[in-house]
Amino acid sequence: MAIIDLHSVSVAFPIYNLNSRSFKKCFLRLATGGRVVEDANKHVMVNALNHISLRFEHGDRIGLIGHNGSGKSTLLRLLATIYEPTSGHMTINGNISPMLDLTPGMETELTGYENIVIRSRLQGFTLQEIKNQTEEIAELTGLGDYLSMPVRTYSSGMMVRLAFAISASIKPDILLIDEIFGAGDADFIEKARQKMISLLNQSSIVVLATHSDELITEFCNKALLLEAGQIKYFGDTKKALDIYHNKG
Amino acid sequence: MTIESVAADPSSPFINDSVRSRQPSHQQLAMSDLRDGFKKWTVWFMLAYQDVKLRYRRSVLGPFWITLSMAITVYSMGYLYGHLFHSNLQVYFPFLVAGMLAWSLISSQFSDLTEAFTQSESLVKQIKLPYSLYIHRVAMRNVIIFFHNIIVMLPILAIYHEVAKVNFYTLMLIPGLLVIYINSISYGLILGMLGARYRDIVQIVRSLIQVAFFLTPIMWNPVLLPEEDRFIVLLNPFYSFVELIRAPLLGAQPEWTTFGMVALITSMGLFLCMKMFSKYRARIVYWL
Repeated sequence: MAIIDLHSVSVAFPIYNLNSRSFKKCFLRLATGGRVVEDANKHVMVNALNHISLRFEHGDRIGLIGHNGSGKSTLLRLLATIYEPTSGHMTINGNISPMLDLTPGMETELTGYENIVIRSRLQGFTLQEIKNQTEEIAELTGLGDYLSMPVRTYSSGMMVRLAFAISASIKPDILLIDEIFGAGDADFIEKARQKMISLLNQSSIVVLATHSDELITEFCNKALLLEAGQIKYFGDTKKALDIYHNKG
Repeated sequence: MTIESVAADPSSPFINDSVRSRQPSHQQLAMSDLRDGFKKWTVWFMLAYQDVKLRYRRSVLGPFWITLSMAITVYSMGYLYGHLFHSNLQVYFPFLVAGMLAWSLISSQFSDLTEAFTQSESLVKQIKLPYSLYIHRVAMRNVIIFFHNIIVMLPILAIYHEVAKVNFYTLMLIPGLLVIYINSISYGLILGMLGARYRDIVQIVRSLIQVAFFLTPIMWNPVLLPEEDRFIVLLNPFYSFVELIRAPLLGAQPEWTTFGMVALITSMGLFLCMKMFSKYRARIVYWL
């Protein structure tokens, strides 16, 4: 049974400005040992998540809402175990399948098919499994022969189709989604929607970050409202949306 | 499959304070990163191979350019310096070519590994993979390039067969490469972390490598030094690692002092790597 348990978890990013990031400053600090330089070298920390405690269990469909910079993406990356907590404890039982935006990691000199293979390998699929699912992914992209062309020749819409199809080729258990709905043309949106619904139904836990109220009310049974890295409200979706909008 | 993070206890689904106190130590997490990274060898091998292929994607000769540009460099260097130094070409040419092959492997490991994490930034931030995997990717990429370069040695073996021989010692190339690979991983992790944290490190390493090239006997033979100054060469760790590859390529046995130096540097690297990687592993993604 999939479980996510966060106990007072914080994530803080050090922000290095150009000065403190360079070796020179560190060296000077060693050399001078003075207080002035040391003060100038203090790092600014951004608390992206601040003492978050929560527990998600089997069957939870959580909608993640909040303004830009409220910590939605950071929370998803934390759950995807990409970021490790700077403090606090996190336990995740179950297979995590993040569906984050893949477009920046695409190798543009390679063809669509090659990108499918590389991505699937990175996600831990075996060669045999990749062989079996390549057809399905190709079908979902609807790109046809374009898949044999280098990705650099794609339009941005085609790129999104490919990225979505690849990232959707997962065996979901704990599904983490960072707003990749609503991309592409009408025809593709419908296809993507069908695929998403089938993924959602297979998953044990879903965490979905989105700005669309319809998606939250349609798919989620709970909502988590984040504000400035803290939990503002966790529970009923309707109430969460109300609080969110009254505030905004 | 169960993915556990920092405070996780893999064996127990129950979360309570007694479980939390039994969380794996930083060292255990670092070890399991190294283990998992190694186990995913198909992934990093694929990425490394892809890197080499991509670099020459639209050129006519493809990866053969690696061999060709190496050949142009070493043959012209051999001819020029052989005459400048008035050396016996019979001896100098094989010495220089084998030395350059070894050096290009070692120096590219150094400078590329410093950028291992920064170059894979988008991947590191998207997919949870062991950090050591990115180091393997770069290290293996350079080994693949080395095997392209080594073809340059073939004409030398044919023309100067009295100096450069193929014999039992040639087999020493395999353990030699293995040792260099291990060092690439341990020092690569250290340099990769430093390079991610301090962006100047890349430039520093690059210029130090330039200096090391002239200080290390690659273009010049150590016998040129007066007898009493030769220990300087033996104290240079680069010399020992170059010898580890150069001697077998020429069909000679590396000196015993070489093994001593290599053993010392290797164990130092493993120790430092364990210390630093245990301490800073979780911070790497925050530095990118």
